[in-house]
Amino acid sequence: KLGHPSELPPEPLPNYEADEDFLRRLHHVLLEVEVLEGSLQCPDSGRRFPISRGVPNMLLSEEET
Amino acid sequence: RQPGMAEGEAAGDAGLGPAPAQEGAELAAVIGATVPTGFEQTAAEEVQEKLGSASRISRDRGKIYFEVPARSLPQVHRLRSVDNLFVVVQEFKDYQFRENKEDALKDLEDLVKKLPWTDPLKVWELNNSLKKKKTKRKKHNLQSPASREKLNGGEERGADQNNTNDQEDCAQNPVAVEPTGGQDTEKPQEVTSRNGVEEEEDNEQSDVKVEVQATSESETKAGDSQTGEGEAKVLRFRVTCNRAGDKHSFTSNEAARDFGGAVQEHFQWKADMTNFDVEVLLNIHNNEVVVGIALTEESLHRRNITHFGPTTLRSTLAYGMLRLCDPQPTDIIVDPMCGTGAIPIEGAAEWPYCYHIAGDNSPQAVKRAGNNICSLLRKNESKDSSAALGVPLDIIQWDICNLPLRTGSVDIVVTDMPFGKRIGSKKKNWDLYPACLMEMGRICTPGTGRAVLLTQDKKCFAKALSRVGHIWRRAQTVWVNVGGLHAAVYLLRRTWEKAEERRSFW
Repeated sequence: KLGHPSELPPEPLPNYEADEDFLRRLHHVLLEVEVLEGSLQCPDSGRRFPISRGVPNMLLSEEET
Repeated sequence: RQPGMAEGEAAGDAGLGPAPAQEGAELAAVIGATVPTGFEQTAAEEVQEKLGSASRISRDRGKIYFEVPARSLPQVHRLRSVDNLFVVVQEFKDYQFRENKEDALKDLEDLVKKLPWTDPLKVWELNNSLKKKKTKRKKHNLQSPASREKLNGGEERGADQNNTNDQEDCAQNPVAVEPTGGQDTEKPQEVTSRNGVEEEEDNEQSDVKVEVQATSESETKAGDSQTGEGEAKVLRFRVTCNRAGDKHSFTSNEAARDFGGAVQEHFQWKADMTNFDVEVLLNIHNNEVVVGIALTEESLHRRNITHFGPTTLRSTLAYGMLRLCDPQPTDIIVDPMCGTGAIPIEGAAEWPYCYHIAGDNSPQAVKRAGNNICSLLRKNESKDSSAALGVPLDIIQWDICNLPLRTGSVDIVVTDMPFGKRIGSKKKNWDLYPACLMEMGRICTPGTGRAVLLTQDKKCFAKALSRVGHIWRRAQTVWVNVGGLHAAVYLLRRTWEKAEERRSFW
């Protein structure tokens, strides 16, 4: 989904705790990859939250609250 | 009890200090550390954990004392809960001041030649060689321009100078008034080291010896003595006196002046307010007198922050708050009103096995926090030649009342709640506090979760807390002082009651 070489499966596989290769890739994505520009998308509503200079803006508009 | 003071009493039963080092025995030091008031116990725990020494907490709030071998100085500098350090020359638990001002001051003067200066000065020297590399990096004088201005003003300023009753006052010699402790200067260009010593840790063993022997280094920086190691040094010094109590017949100014005079006589040092090598501390708290030599020039508490905001929290206070909630490896720690990020940054540095999430609604705060995080990352980069290690820390712009975090997913919430006086208003707090507590209660794990909240608006907080008693229980309160304002830190425990599930918007 990131378009990044170290692809992750869409869901954690069963027994993922023992899968070291998966854990390494997960660690890499969580801690070593920084999204500078882009967006986060809510899986339920599809609402996109922009990311600018590494910081996602998750403030809701007046109508949304 | 006789108010008089017999000859030799000072050095006798009332005096406490480390036993002078025997031939071949290791140099030890009694270290005094200033800590945020209210967090003395936390600091003592850190000292026990990292140095293995027990601490004494003095009645003079905000100070702890512990004994360590002098070789542990680098570790002492790495303590996260202390603001300033000094080596104790001698401590008097119950010093009897004579009632007459001249007599009391004369006694202080006479004290100088009886004090055991030798070992503390050795510790000071050792500490100096540890600091030398730090000062090399600084491009500017250690004193800020602001304090130099005050000094040029010369004569006494401030309301308390002639008031000897029930006052705290503080002065240095020669006659001038300046707040002690570090000047908090903003250094946006410089990546602030965690403390002066840490960066040189890898090669400090060999380098310390090299520094001591390389006498001909001619560095023209403040505080550097003019002559080489082998010759007699003419050191420059100043005396800083802090005095509190209502029974003293003299001011701190007078004590600093006279004590300083005697120090000058005794050592033949040169008095110098701004470019001093040795800062002698004379701390008087009622009948407790402590003579020390400063080991830190600037307060350590700004160490992680390079970009300040209007209400940036001291790192030492942030550390104390985090320690209070006893973070465990894999805990998720959230600061939902992070400001410049002082707390999460301290958290990520000191508890790297937890994941820290910072958030704020203000774009300026988020930007500053982001910059501070970048500074931290850059610092990690320069240490490792390989790729930079990730830092378990992230920043998001969000609304405290609508946090994009799943119910019950956070272990610890720790934050500096808005104070009415500095940010927002008291009226806003009335509505904000209950909403905050509810939302923080929602994201926090029932039963095991906890929150540590700093606030000055204690009344508003107490009221808000009473409305959320089904979610939060008050476990501990620490009374603190933040920028002169009396505040409180509340440790809350999340009850077992589950929060209402929110409609899934996220």
